[in-house]
Amino acid sequence: MHFTPLPYLDPGSGSFIIQIAIAALLGLGVAIRASWSKIKKYFGIKPKSEDEDADSDNDQD
Amino acid sequence: MTRTEQLSASFRDPSGFLFTRNGVLYRQINRAYSKDYARLIDSGLYEKLVKAGLLIAHVDVDQPPAESAPAFKVIQPERVPFISYPYEWSFSQLKDAALATLSIQKRALKLDMSLKDASAYNIQFTRGKATLIDTLSFEIYKEGEPWVAYKQFCQHFLAPLALMAYRDIRLSQLLRIYIDGVPLDLASELLPAKTKLNFGLLTHIHVHAGAQKRYSDKTVAPRAKGAGGMTRQALTGLIESLESTVKKLTWKPAGTEWGDYYENTNYTDSAFEHKKQLVKEWSAEKKPALVWDLGGNTGVFSREAASSGAYTVSFDIDPAAVEQNYRVVKAQKEQNILPLVLDLTNPSPALGWDNAERDSFGARGPVDMALALAVIHHLAISNNVPLPQLADFFAAHCKWLVIEFVPKSDSQVQKLLASREDIFPNYTREGFEAAFSERFSIRKSESVRDSERILYLMERK
Repeated sequence: MHFTPLPYLDPGSGSFIIQIAIAALLGLGVAIRASWSKIKKYFGIKPKSEDEDADSDNDQD
Repeated sequence: MTRTEQLSASFRDPSGFLFTRNGVLYRQINRAYSKDYARLIDSGLYEKLVKAGLLIAHVDVDQPPAESAPAFKVIQPERVPFISYPYEWSFSQLKDAALATLSIQKRALKLDMSLKDASAYNIQFTRGKATLIDTLSFEIYKEGEPWVAYKQFCQHFLAPLALMAYRDIRLSQLLRIYIDGVPLDLASELLPAKTKLNFGLLTHIHVHAGAQKRYSDKTVAPRAKGAGGMTRQALTGLIESLESTVKKLTWKPAGTEWGDYYENTNYTDSAFEHKKQLVKEWSAEKKPALVWDLGGNTGVFSREAASSGAYTVSFDIDPAAVEQNYRVVKAQKEQNILPLVLDLTNPSPALGWDNAERDSFGARGPVDMALALAVIHHLAISNNVPLPQLADFFAAHCKWLVIEFVPKSDSQVQKLLASREDIFPNYTREGFEAAFSERFSIRKSESVRDSERILYLMERK
């Protein structure tokens, strides 16, 4: 098992555990979205641009 | 003689710290951070973020470190014209700071880095935009690790925003009490029950607060147990969920104290225009670098001062006015106006460890010029501050003072006196001039057209 340096702020035990649980669920959404866009691509439907530069103008509204 | 001083707000992170030498701001980077710093630069992340206006720019300098033993190098960051704090921001300013933090985290992850903190104090407004000022906030991302700054993000951004949106805008002031953000159990308790129907708030605040309580006496060695526990996809899902939760939070500035002040005054258009013209002329003449507009409302007069090239901080007590002002800054892409919420009768104190982490309002001055327009009657009459003390206050904060005297006969003052005894025998033009002449030389005075008000330009003695 590899150990990396501990964070300099205490991330909180509860915050860590709940984060992993919530994120597992949310990650599923990301995975489904990714495969859905693959399916659409297969049928020739252009996916919406998910490029990071979509928000590169830092338009924070 | 060189004078080196470490900044008192910059002691927590062992990666490095800020110091000033002969008035110039530098950041020392320690060897412990050298690998992460190299990745930040070599991966192109630094350049990308600076280009997007999301990260403060810096240059490498050949300066000896302030503390040589742990030192790796010294950089000189671009200086922020005025440091402000989250409890001084309007709703949209805090929201934009939150979204900037998440946007940075998303971009960092794509280049295998991650934010190791998500403090609202690391965000400042430069050129009208929320910008990360801590160059040392990044670390190399390790696949499988959860986001160490998740709790901090929820406390510093999500909880106060949700409370402002769903409960009361004034709850932003909780940030003034809790320097590490609003405790999630408190937020969960204060938020209306309907927020449990909002998936983002349910999970990131209510359930999160419950988990904190449940595990409060248990230790989880985060990086040992977390490693491998969270895929990159899961982390992306988490960041995107926080982003969409924040984006959905809204607040409309309505029904507040001064929201429609200008529609509700006794001034005529010509008085208003005359005042604007005088502020513009006098600022153009004195060319201040930094102006504080004290009681700036939605920033109409701040913009006149800013037209001289001055960086103008527009303070007002009303979060609705500050919100409107900030929306104009964004819409017009204005770069030298910073709207902030401030109660002049109880300005931001020094906060944090040793009362030295966050500067008080006064410690962030004095400035070249202050505007005090249509504000003196609120301080002298509503708040009972004697005129000599008002003169002392302004003299402590500015060299040039543009101040409007609103006489008792003015209908706005009459309104303030309507329900109380008039205990202000000295509140006259003569009394005002005598009190202020103790601390200032009156350089100009002009009667504001079509009104009984007088505008003064004074210079501190």
